[in-house]
Amino acid sequence: MKSIVVKKNEEKVITVLWIGKETELSYDIKLAGIGSSIKFLGLIIGKGMQTLTLNVKVTHAAPQTTSKIIIKSVLTESAKVDIEGLVKIDPGAKGTNAWLAAHLLLLSERAKGRAVPSLEILENDIKAGHATTVGRINDMEVFYLMSRGLSRKTAKNLIVEGFLREMIEQFPKNLSQTAERELRL
Amino acid sequence: MKSQPVVKTSYKYGFHKPEASFFKTPMGLNRQVVEAISHFKNEPEWMLQFRLQALMMFEQKMLPTWGADLSGIDFDAMYYYISPSEKKFTDWGDVPADIKDTYDKIGIPQAEQKYLAGVGAQYDSEVVYHNLKKKWEDLGVIFVDTDTALTKYPDLFRQYFGTVIPVSDNKLAALNSAVWSGGSFIYIPKGVHVDIPLQAYFRINAANMGQFERTLIIADEGSYVHYVEGCTAPIYTTDSLHAAVVEIIVKKGARVRYTTIQNWSNNVYNLVTKRMLVEEEGFGEWIDGNLGAKVTMKYPSVILNGKGAKGEVLSLAFAGKGQHQDAGGKAIHLAPYTTSTITSKSVSVGGGRSSYRGMVKIINGAKGSKSFVRCDALLLDELSRSDTYPTNIVNEEDVTLGHEASVSKIGEEQLFYLMSRGLSEAAATGLIVNGFIEPIVKELPLEYAVELNRLINLSMEGSVG
Repeated sequence: MKSIVVKKNEEKVITVLWIGKETELSYDIKLAGIGSSIKFLGLIIGKGMQTLTLNVKVTHAAPQTTSKIIIKSVLTESAKVDIEGLVKIDPGAKGTNAWLAAHLLLLSERAKGRAVPSLEILENDIKAGHATTVGRINDMEVFYLMSRGLSRKTAKNLIVEGFLREMIEQFPKNLSQTAERELRL
Repeated sequence: MKSQPVVKTSYKYGFHKPEASFFKTPMGLNRQVVEAISHFKNEPEWMLQFRLQALMMFEQKMLPTWGADLSGIDFDAMYYYISPSEKKFTDWGDVPADIKDTYDKIGIPQAEQKYLAGVGAQYDSEVVYHNLKKKWEDLGVIFVDTDTALTKYPDLFRQYFGTVIPVSDNKLAALNSAVWSGGSFIYIPKGVHVDIPLQAYFRINAANMGQFERTLIIADEGSYVHYVEGCTAPIYTTDSLHAAVVEIIVKKGARVRYTTIQNWSNNVYNLVTKRMLVEEEGFGEWIDGNLGAKVTMKYPSVILNGKGAKGEVLSLAFAGKGQHQDAGGKAIHLAPYTTSTITSKSVSVGGGRSSYRGMVKIINGAKGSKSFVRCDALLLDELSRSDTYPTNIVNEEDVTLGHEASVSKIGEEQLFYLMSRGLSEAAATGLIVNGFIEPIVKELPLEYAVELNRLINLSMEGSVG
């Protein structure tokens, strides 16, 4: 479990790339100072029999704090991922803004996903939201690309890349290179 | 009676009648109590065995460790069976005066004449009044209380009873199975469309009372029914318990809509298990409004068991002072091309807490399934709390699942605009809240929609400004 405390007016960015090494990752983030903010970007690329449990907990303990948690996951073969997110907004954390999102792309019959993005809100002067999507590659998109002369495999790769592009671009260079290498499989 | 009503002006159903029970089991729960209920009802041996097995399950199982705080329930300080009357009636004129007066105050006999195809009225443990208009009876529709169904339609009853929610499902379902009494039994024959609603009304009158109604609805192929239930209770200083079990079977191509407006007084623990099994091309809908009770834990479920089955849950929760509404819905996709929608709207005010708790599960093989969940929460002040606990499990590649949630307060600009047009802050807030819940309210029968808007305005009086 990694504990992270964000201080007054501090802006923290956490980038996580998972390619099958760990079976469990836990982050406990506390926005302790007024005006602090956290951006958490999690990219999960699972294949084979790899499994991951990812826990991300964010506590807004001070006013004017911002959190943005985005998790994207691409699963092939029999990979399995379990995402538990919790955003807690303490009483008094006025002017808080929280966003929690988990997007899962399943690329195989046997891949499995579980996502539980929870919110606990004890202050009313806030904005909070969360979103989950789970789905596969849209057949129409593949069909369109193939009609333009791409092979099925290239078309699918292109769509997966499009799904992750925005996040990979925000990663430090070493991580984005690793991610791209993994995705080429 | 030691219990004194607590003054709360906005709850107009808080009155109680002197308890004039015809038969009552002693306080607490044990084998003798269960045997006494079964014996008093003159039940067949298999039902007694069913109850005793359920009692064992109840004793073995733990209360859920998640969800609302249930530590305040004292299972030993509760009456599990109180029969208010020797008989059941089909004419309001025959119903004992005290009981009839209660339903007159709530407005049931009037509504029956105007808008309903049939009415059942349960008072404490027993259904005292049950009537179905002749037109529907002639078409083969069965609408009786569940105890009568056990005697009158034993085969149909035994074929479906306990099949959607087994005794072992959870501690409260086991408790209901052990001491159940009353509730509605509905059978709609193939192709019959009951186009005006059937309604049941549940009233707890006695203090320290546990009400355990058991409802079973079977909609045969291609049929349609809309069932509406309402619930109220007097205000006592001690707690009461309502632990119902509702099982619904929606056969091929049939459609069932089940509407609940729960407005228990704020001393009732409302812990209900509700589930629909939907077969091929069937459509099951829950419209679940939770306004009253001290604690509610209720997650109406649709099990989509046949190809192309559809399920919908509309959940509305309103948590005021001292209330915790832990509500939501579940959709389990077991077959291909099944679709589900869950929409939840919650409002927390005056220190109330509302929690959305839901689950969508899509098993491997349920190809082409779609599910969409939307929860919106409105927090009206600094004392209140709102939670969202959505579980999404997908074990199939070919699916589309979406979940969205938002939590917010009332927009300053909205308030300012309305107040600049001459509305008071309270009136403006009421208008915004009513607008917020409108997508659910518009699905209710008209008289309920009007009542709901009125209740919400009352509950909010004095809460802002």
